[in-house]
Amino acid sequence: MSLKYLLITLASLLALEVTSLASSLKNSMSFGVDTYNDNADVQVYSPTFSVFNKLSHNWMIGFKMRIDAITAASIKNGSNAGHVDAVTGASSNENFYDDIRYAPTLMATYEDGDNLLSFGAYYSSEIDYEGKALFVNYVRQLNEQNTALGIGISQSDDVWKPVFDRALPKDYRREGKLDLSINQLISPTLSLQVVYSYLKSEGFLSSPYHYVLQNDIAKFENYPDSRVGHAFALKGVSLLNIKNSMNFSYRYYTDDWDISSHTVNIEELHDFSKNFTTGLRLRYYTQTASNFVKEIGTYNATDNYFATDYRMSAFDSFTIGMPFMYKMRGGDKLNASIDFYQTTSNDYIKSWYGVDKINAIFTTFTYEFEY
Amino acid sequence: MYKLFLIALVLFTSGCSEHLVRVMPYEKEYFAQDKMSLAPVGARSEQEGHIFLIREASAGGESSFQGGCGCR
Repeated sequence: MSLKYLLITLASLLALEVTSLASSLKNSMSFGVDTYNDNADVQVYSPTFSVFNKLSHNWMIGFKMRIDAITAASIKNGSNAGHVDAVTGASSNENFYDDIRYAPTLMATYEDGDNLLSFGAYYSSEIDYEGKALFVNYVRQLNEQNTALGIGISQSDDVWKPVFDRALPKDYRREGKLDLSINQLISPTLSLQVVYSYLKSEGFLSSPYHYVLQNDIAKFENYPDSRVGHAFALKGVSLLNIKNSMNFSYRYYTDDWDISSHTVNIEELHDFSKNFTTGLRLRYYTQTASNFVKEIGTYNATDNYFATDYRMSAFDSFTIGMPFMYKMRGGDKLNASIDFYQTTSNDYIKSWYGVDKINAIFTTFTYEFEY
Repeated sequence: MYKLFLIALVLFTSGCSEHLVRVMPYEKEYFAQDKMSLAPVGARSEQEGHIFLIREASAGGESSFQGGCGCR
């Protein structure tokens, strides 16, 4: 009898060990297209592709490709959309798109049930900018997979190549980021996540094209050449009832340019059938101004810093959108989303883009399947 | 915040963490549903992460990597 219990116990332990080493890695592939259109004369159409292939039980490699086909005033005439009509009216655009950005990402993932390690490299190529970055993320599952501790590190080393003949004080932009996260299951219907991000940027951090133009001053934008930011986020997802869930998040951001912001996002999802889920999301964002931006028309020639980009000023934004998730037979997935984005009225937006506020619509569409 | 995070880290990795086993494996079925994900539409999360980086002056809090581009 005791031998039987011993065998059962050993079998249970073995099963537990096998379970803990289980991997959820799967061969998968996706095709999609994203779009972005705004009233500042920017249109972006982005085909996307990704493939993830298992090398072994615990290892997988992945490749993602994004191509941004961009038409934008910033490329046609140096960012000033307020002048774009005159420019485009005077010249014909030989190419259908003003720029095409290629952004491949190569990554590898290890997973054994309790540990998830992913790392990779990112590259981005545009007419006037080349981006390179390395990233690594590690997640450790604890407490019978009720708790997940995560750490992520990334470092970019980007280079500016202005289309105009302009010698920049520094031609690089380097950004480092450290993310620490804790996920905790609170109940069978509630999960919470806390994230802290440390961000450090250095190099040429403004646009090489934006400029301040006053009666007595014509200066390119000039920002401090370093910036340190901190972001704190609380996120959660809760099952309201069998067919409805609520996704919510709050983020506080602050940096040494005195920009601070609050972001609130809330989304309700509803299962209309076994295969189709949709819902509504709302996002509100508000930020303060940087400590070096000045009122339009009030710069002095002796100022150290010049800013005309609205992102250095105080403004709010609102986003409303709908996601769509459809599961096909065999497990294939069709996901889509449409969102409308709007900023509040802003003098800098009016001065640069010729409109009171930025209005944008962005969409995504993805077909994903396992093989 | 650093201290809070360290305290939480110690709690999670110490004996106190047994109190954090709040959901048994057989109670996790809801978390397998797409609508219970923190990022239910992955493509949208990537797309909007990029857009908000371009259109706003804040960053971070995503616990995921966002590559740079000249749009910023």
